[in-house]
Amino acid sequence: MRKISFFRQLGTQILLACIGLFVILPIWATMRLAFDGSLKSRPTEFRFFPKEWSTTAFMQVLEKPYQSVDFEVLLKNSLTVSLSAAFIAIILGMSLAYAFARFRFPGRQFGLFAILLTAFLPPVAFMTPLYILLTMLKIRTTLMALVIVYAAFGMPFCIWNMRAAFQSIPKEVEEAAFLDGAGDFKTFLYITLPLAMPSIVVAGLISFLMAYSEFAIGWLFVEKADTVTLAMSIYAMVQSGNAQPWSYLGSLAIIMSIPVVILFILFQRTLLERLMFGETA
Amino acid sequence: MKRLQISLRILAILFVITIAWIARAHAVDKLPIDYDEDDYLRASQEYTHLIRASNWLGFQEANYRPEHPPLAKILMGFSLLSAPEEELTPDAPTTAQPNKNLPVDLVKPARTLNAVFGLLTVALLAFLDPLAGLTLGLHTFTIKYVSQIMLEALPALTSLVTVLAYLQSKKQKSKTSWLAASAIFLGLTAASKYLYCVVAFAILTDWFLESKRQNGLGNFYKQVIFWGILALVIFFAADPYLWPNPIQRLKESVFYHAAYSSGAAEVQNAGYPFWQPFAWITMSPAMWSKDAFFIAPDFFITVFAFLGLAGLWKKERVYVLWLGFAFLFLLFWPTKWPQYIVIFTVPLSLSASLGIQQTWQSAMDRFKDRKTHKVVFAKKESRRAVPWLVPGLIAFALLTVFPLLFQFAVSTTDFNSSSIRDGLNGGIWNAVWGGLTGQAESTEMAITTHPNRVNFVGLSSYPDVFIFVSGRGTLFFDIFWTILSVSLQGFLGVSVALLLWQRGLRLGKFWQTLFILPWAIPEMIGVLMWLNIFSPETGWLALAVRSFGANIPFGFLNGWESTSSLWIVIFLIPAIWYGFPFMMLAASAGLKMIPQEVYDAAMMDGADTVQTFRYITWPLLLPLLLPAIIVRGIFAFNQFYLFQTFYYRDATLATLSYNIFNPTGWDITGQFAVSAAINIITVLILIVFVYLFNRWSKADEGVTYA
Repeated sequence: MRKISFFRQLGTQILLACIGLFVILPIWATMRLAFDGSLKSRPTEFRFFPKEWSTTAFMQVLEKPYQSVDFEVLLKNSLTVSLSAAFIAIILGMSLAYAFARFRFPGRQFGLFAILLTAFLPPVAFMTPLYILLTMLKIRTTLMALVIVYAAFGMPFCIWNMRAAFQSIPKEVEEAAFLDGAGDFKTFLYITLPLAMPSIVVAGLISFLMAYSEFAIGWLFVEKADTVTLAMSIYAMVQSGNAQPWSYLGSLAIIMSIPVVILFILFQRTLLERLMFGETA
Repeated sequence: MKRLQISLRILAILFVITIAWIARAHAVDKLPIDYDEDDYLRASQEYTHLIRASNWLGFQEANYRPEHPPLAKILMGFSLLSAPEEELTPDAPTTAQPNKNLPVDLVKPARTLNAVFGLLTVALLAFLDPLAGLTLGLHTFTIKYVSQIMLEALPALTSLVTVLAYLQSKKQKSKTSWLAASAIFLGLTAASKYLYCVVAFAILTDWFLESKRQNGLGNFYKQVIFWGILALVIFFAADPYLWPNPIQRLKESVFYHAAYSSGAAEVQNAGYPFWQPFAWITMSPAMWSKDAFFIAPDFFITVFAFLGLAGLWKKERVYVLWLGFAFLFLLFWPTKWPQYIVIFTVPLSLSASLGIQQTWQSAMDRFKDRKTHKVVFAKKESRRAVPWLVPGLIAFALLTVFPLLFQFAVSTTDFNSSSIRDGLNGGIWNAVWGGLTGQAESTEMAITTHPNRVNFVGLSSYPDVFIFVSGRGTLFFDIFWTILSVSLQGFLGVSVALLLWQRGLRLGKFWQTLFILPWAIPEMIGVLMWLNIFSPETGWLALAVRSFGANIPFGFLNGWESTSSLWIVIFLIPAIWYGFPFMMLAASAGLKMIPQEVYDAAMMDGADTVQTFRYITWPLLLPLLLPAIIVRGIFAFNQFYLFQTFYYRDATLATLSYNIFNPTGWDITGQFAVSAAINIITVLILIVFVYLFNRWSKADEGVTYA
């Protein structure tokens, strides 16, 4: 293929700029809110730029974003819940993933189908039974319940992806270790696991993010303010409407997004592969 | 052998006719009086009166509701001859509520006559294809509108005869008599209800294409003119109301519809979006009157009809044209009444029949394949797998499988927020156990009641829940949404990937990183960002319109919340924004895998850009994109946060399930069992998705495991 002509270059750049505008638009509208110090509640007039540039909203949100709850508590809850859920999904799912990647046994096809199916289910499909079951166990309104719920959402996905990761490691590598006298478990621990680690981390990251940004289902498992997560608090701010300056809402949204955006840009290629269920080459 | 086949076919046809009659007779008895029935009964009564008085000249002046031609009303008038004379049904405006007090001894014969026409349609279709006959015989919207005092039954029959006669004329040497028959029935169709004449467009198109293929266009025009004139003559002959003043009265009746569709209060108040005809064919009138129907298979008929379309086109093009013209017309016509879909339920049934046959055939083929490839498992390997399987399986069973099984158990009860105390203290177990062992009688459940003890309802809730989710439009919207949002995301994603892929493009990396942003922002925050723009009254757009007037770009979107056709645009914009980066990345990854040599070869052969894309890039790229398309499709089908945040709380199955479950929610709340049943329905639908995913991706086990 030849290099493109000047006019085509120009046309392409203009098109891309239009799409860029579309991408930026809602982000900019949020920024404009976040940096506006003049807002007392919702904005009442159209502005392209903030009326008074200020970062007080960010300061306020980093201290007490929602009613009297500390940012620290919210962040701590978010991290505890999301990290534990991802960790449980990974650790408990790992052996199953390995079995499906390496061995042939009766019922394997059916099992794979079941895992893929459960990975594709909406979180709501687990919410209904877990809500009832955890209420029966009388732990519904604890952080532990949230961990269990989010782990249940994430586990099928993690199993499927770890399986893909294990499968992509050549069997020969394992066989060499096996011939040197290492058992199944040792081979897994010292050979396969380290090799598959990057993919496992990314799979864990995805289920971490699912828990990190979940709010609607989480609200059903909360009664007291001390188990609220960041994502829930941002939704609560939307619900509470005009009680607070909307700049808080905008700045919390930005604060919550920045770490995730950085992770996505750094790991885009692997993330894409994992999110396509190991389907890209 | 041949004789056996023929007798089997006759048996099948008789069976279909019997089923169809039972369904229709039942509907005649059970359907409550609906809109318009009083109007058409009054019209028929006027004719009965004239017939009794032998006042044949009076036919020229009688035609209550003159916007519709009189033929169907006249025939209903004859059907009332057996009934005692009753007072004329009072005149009421078209906006009036249904008149519940119509005399039963009049309703019954008029409805029965229509049901007989409906049965004849089924019988004709059954001769052509018994399965299609059965499909039409059980299609509940068809049953409803051919078993009421409506004008649908007769033209539905005559329009089918029009097509069948035309098809005969194609096959026979002596065309004229069949063509004449086709024209006569077209004329009768027009004299019953204008709308049904869309078949004429299908016939003309097919006829034109066929003649063109045979190089006989000259003959075609001659025949068409003969056909058209004959149809017109019959129409005129069968419409005595036109005789005294043809032009004026025809004009009035036709223009009435144009005015009605754009001005009538009931059309405006209904507020149906442009795609409503699509929605009707996924619903069933069982949502309004459950007792009148035995089963409600309309949704499945539509699904199979979709699958059978290609086959039907190959087999007999004119039916697909019929379906297509009818559909296009209804999409653009502003009036969206459900009875209009009866104009195409015949070709819909034919297509569904083919779809069922094809699905059955391919299922059988796959089943046979399965038998030939039996996998042998090494015992040793299976044993080695056990220590790995056990811990993982326990966790998977506890966290995933058990909740799903429990959910299924809950769905067989009527557990809700009022029976929560009983349910949590063992009520669910007692109900399910009692039901399974037959100790407890299973009771009827209703979606809006809250009994305070848990009862076993068995699987009986599933048909009701299904009718509920389809009747609410949720099932339709979910599928429509999935198709629309994924195709638009795919279109933009692939376009951007192609733009970025051009050799020598500057700033490529920069643009790509910028475009990843929406994908990287958590969905719920992205949705909030868009809510900040589109929120009614307080959003950026609304504020901008307030400051600068409605003529700014995209200003027309302001006020979307009160125009049902605009909703979907407002939801699609964030969905495209959020979804296209993923498609772009997938397409970019795919494009890199296409070898350069292919393009060198294409360039040497002198292919231009469009040809290169059409014949090289797209076919090579599509298989690489399919997994991404399905993953996005499933995401769209399960879309929740977008709709929840925009307060569209029955958009998808997931949103509906959540909001019905939520004890402190909206509308219907705390119906735990209904929510569970919706989730199980979601599982069943996703099984289809997973099946497709497995088939289309290399994840298919036989291939990757080596």
